[in-house]
Amino acid sequence: MLARPTTEQILLDVRAELLSTIDAAVTEPAVKVAIQMMENVLRNCAERAAHEIAWMRDETAAMVEYAEQVSASPAGSAELRDALASFSAGRSDSLHLDDVTATYSLAGECLSTALEAVLAAGDDVLHVAGRRLLEQRLVHEQQIMGEWTMVGRA
Amino acid sequence: MHDAGVMPERLGRFLSARDGTRTAVVRRYEAMVGGYSRVMARAEVAWSDGSVEMVVLRGDPPAGKAMIETDRDVEHALLHALTSSGSVAMPAVRAYDSSGAELGTKCIVLDHVDGQSLQALLNATPIEQHGEHALDLVDTLASIHALDVDALDLPIPRPTSWDDYLGELIDRFRQADRGHAESVPFLRYVASWLDAHRPPPLPLRLVHSDFQAANIMVERGGRHLMIDWELAHVGDPREDLGYYNVYSSASGPNLFARDPEAFLARYRERTGFDEQAVNLTTMGYFSSLAAITVYAQVLHGAGALARGTNAGLLTTYTMNALTIGHSNFLAGCTAPQSQPTAVA
Repeated sequence: MLARPTTEQILLDVRAELLSTIDAAVTEPAVKVAIQMMENVLRNCAERAAHEIAWMRDETAAMVEYAEQVSASPAGSAELRDALASFSAGRSDSLHLDDVTATYSLAGECLSTALEAVLAAGDDVLHVAGRRLLEQRLVHEQQIMGEWTMVGRA
Repeated sequence: MHDAGVMPERLGRFLSARDGTRTAVVRRYEAMVGGYSRVMARAEVAWSDGSVEMVVLRGDPPAGKAMIETDRDVEHALLHALTSSGSVAMPAVRAYDSSGAELGTKCIVLDHVDGQSLQALLNATPIEQHGEHALDLVDTLASIHALDVDALDLPIPRPTSWDDYLGELIDRFRQADRGHAESVPFLRYVASWLDAHRPPPLPLRLVHSDFQAANIMVERGGRHLMIDWELAHVGDPREDLGYYNVYSSASGPNLFARDPEAFLARYRERTGFDEQAVNLTTMGYFSSLAAITVYAQVLHGAGALARGTNAGLLTTYTMNALTIGHSNFLAGCTAPQSQPTAVA
């Protein structure tokens, strides 16, 4: 396959064309709002295309490591052991996007269950450690979002 | 409503049939921008008695294209109940196509407001002049929350108790996670946190649930009229306070953030609620909790898109609002040994 220009570059090029050629030719307010939304979605997609597999792989490893740490602590629960078992049974090392997202979701379930167990146990140290994973996830989401406002709302 | 070319004729026939004595001719029909969830349009209508007026149409998007799913029958019944009671200032309902047979989709026809939205007004007003608007906004919200829901015959469920209601509201975070196409770890964390930090109760009241400046129409005389009641329910009135805070932090200006203590003091004065129940801490709590109503709808749309049962630019575009929701969830659900953040 031709890897360059990358998907990110192609999407950003389409976005630039949308703004410079199509938006300039449109006067209908509803269509102009739709173009602004498309511009934003294309920017989101470009950012995702550039990073999402690496981010999901990194987060997956961190979420499962944390869940195993919680499972080994007094806060550990049967539900958490089940979630970790489901992850082990369903995980994949494939880098195809569908496989990466499926594995990421199984790891997310481990993190959800671990955080529930930690809050139920009142373990503040593990609570803070778990929040850091959510904060890291949020950093990635915000990088995808970029500058975003609700266009057309008035 | 989905085919603007045929709408003038259809709407004229519809309004004539509802009026019974006069004939309506639609002289102008145009789609409105500004609303995300429903299809909106305005029309200029000339009646056979010589009068001319504007009406607004609010209908369902095409099947599979809705960003959020709500019931027009319920919304129409609620609007009818509220306008009949005269309890809340809002545009009057003129007619309703309950089947979609006449206007192409289930559609509520409303009076047109001769004015602009508070959002548009704020956008055109220097920030140093926002103080009066903040007080007006609080008064509008308080007027909704001061209503006695027992005295109104509202076509929406009435929770049995505050405790049960709050538990059900918190559980919606877990339901949203279960129903989505992938795990979203923010949700069950927030549910656990909110369960462990319940605030003092308040009487259950009518909650607008999408309380924001774009949903307040301001007449030329300055009177506020609330619109977009599709998510309204009976619940904890602080949901609207929290929702306003998180929404207007993402789509400003945020009139709460300019002077939080004064904002809440005015609200307490107008509603009679005490400071134990309405303060910066409970504002932080409800800033996390209240977002779930709209958040769950947006997430549901994203899940439907992932499963191939929904489509549309709005669904994809508004997924960014989920990220804003996650940010607000973490700001409101504080880490151990830190203070709550009411201002998102």
